[in-house]
Amino acid sequence: MKYVDEFRDPALGEVLAGEILGLVEPGRHYKFMEVCGGHTHSIYKYGIDDLLPQNVELVHGPGCPVCVIPMGRVDDAIALAHEPDVIFTCFGDMLRVPGSDGTLLDAKAHGADIRMVYSPLDALRIAKANPERPVIFFAIGFETTAPSTALTLKRAKAEGVQNFFCMCNHVTIVPPLRALLDSPDLRLDGFIGPGHVSTVVGVRPFEFIPREYGKPISVAGFEPLDVLHAIHMILTQLKEGRCEVENQYARVVPWEGNPRALQVMSEVFELRPHFEWRGMGFISQSGLKLSEAYADFDAEITYSVPGIRVADPKACQCGEVLKGVIKPWECKVFGSGCTPERPIGTCMVSSEGACAAYYNYGRFAREREVV
Amino acid sequence: MSRLIADAASALAPTCDYTTGCITCGDVAVPLTVMRLDAERGLALCADDEGKSETVEIDLVAPVAPGDRLLVHAGTAIAMLTEEAPA
Repeated sequence: MKYVDEFRDPALGEVLAGEILGLVEPGRHYKFMEVCGGHTHSIYKYGIDDLLPQNVELVHGPGCPVCVIPMGRVDDAIALAHEPDVIFTCFGDMLRVPGSDGTLLDAKAHGADIRMVYSPLDALRIAKANPERPVIFFAIGFETTAPSTALTLKRAKAEGVQNFFCMCNHVTIVPPLRALLDSPDLRLDGFIGPGHVSTVVGVRPFEFIPREYGKPISVAGFEPLDVLHAIHMILTQLKEGRCEVENQYARVVPWEGNPRALQVMSEVFELRPHFEWRGMGFISQSGLKLSEAYADFDAEITYSVPGIRVADPKACQCGEVLKGVIKPWECKVFGSGCTPERPIGTCMVSSEGACAAYYNYGRFAREREVV
Repeated sequence: MSRLIADAASALAPTCDYTTGCITCGDVAVPLTVMRLDAERGLALCADDEGKSETVEIDLVAPVAPGDRLLVHAGTAIAMLTEEAPA
């Protein structure tokens, strides 16, 4: 398959792994964060960490939008789903995220009309097919997904659809990265930057990381050679004493992003003053809500939601996992009380979540971990 | 705690495939080829390399033509793929 097979070549992977070995200084420990859940998935699926020297450690970042949803927002979603006549639509992973009193799937079992969709456009189709019933779309995702929601809302407005509403949970990537960099309990040497978020926002928003925090970053694609190449680029920067933003994924990511997508987002969304992230608390200007022009589509204005903050379960250590402070398998309930089939924490729910990825691909390789 | 974990119904949940990752809510996008255009509505019928097709929003990458390769996320094309050789 074009654009895929070229980046899964085992022989090239071995060459890159050999060069990476030559770039590391013996005795120095390197700790890189892969920001995006898609990278976490690739790393475990392809065993990339097994190709790295012992002193190169990869830690997982907060880049899975499902994992960072706090329980209170799930409760709000369930409350909306139970509103009379409502058809509640969301992506598949969200169905299994526990709130304080069960999941959306539990709500469905109790009679709420909750349907899984693959895109916001699917949700709009359901609204148009059921004009007598309100249809609420649970919008979630970083800047990769937000333009899709924005375009769908523009379409709904242009077509005069009046029974389509959106519960907006879109988040932005830069504020949590800044919060992580300000965190005293995490020492990082560099970042593997998010590939598809950068397709939309471009590479420029990450320039603050080398400029203000002195850490190199390489925006990377999701195939195994992409990730290895990004690690190679970061190590080369460190060896040469450079510190800058590099774009490993230049075949897809333009430096300036997608200006049209940014324009559409700015029309439809505005920044919330603050938004709660699971395990990380409230982060300023890190979430999006619908703008004044789209207030008629805002489910949280049309309907009342509890809006109550719910503390995470005591046993759950998703917060530390999301900040890269502990490895998934170091969590007290990993693989015992918390599994993909019966998750307690969000990191075990989404396939992009660090715990689910580790559980599915990496749990037998923990002996090599350098903690 | 029992109320916090999913009950037996969750085993039947239509979830994303762990072997391929979650296309919709993760930072995952797939390359698709434009088959047919509905320029008026800003949509295109696109297919993957195995011939599986879906309707895609093309507003963010317009104009496109049949045969173009698009990077698609959650039903929306977010980038046009070029013929640039792998790095």
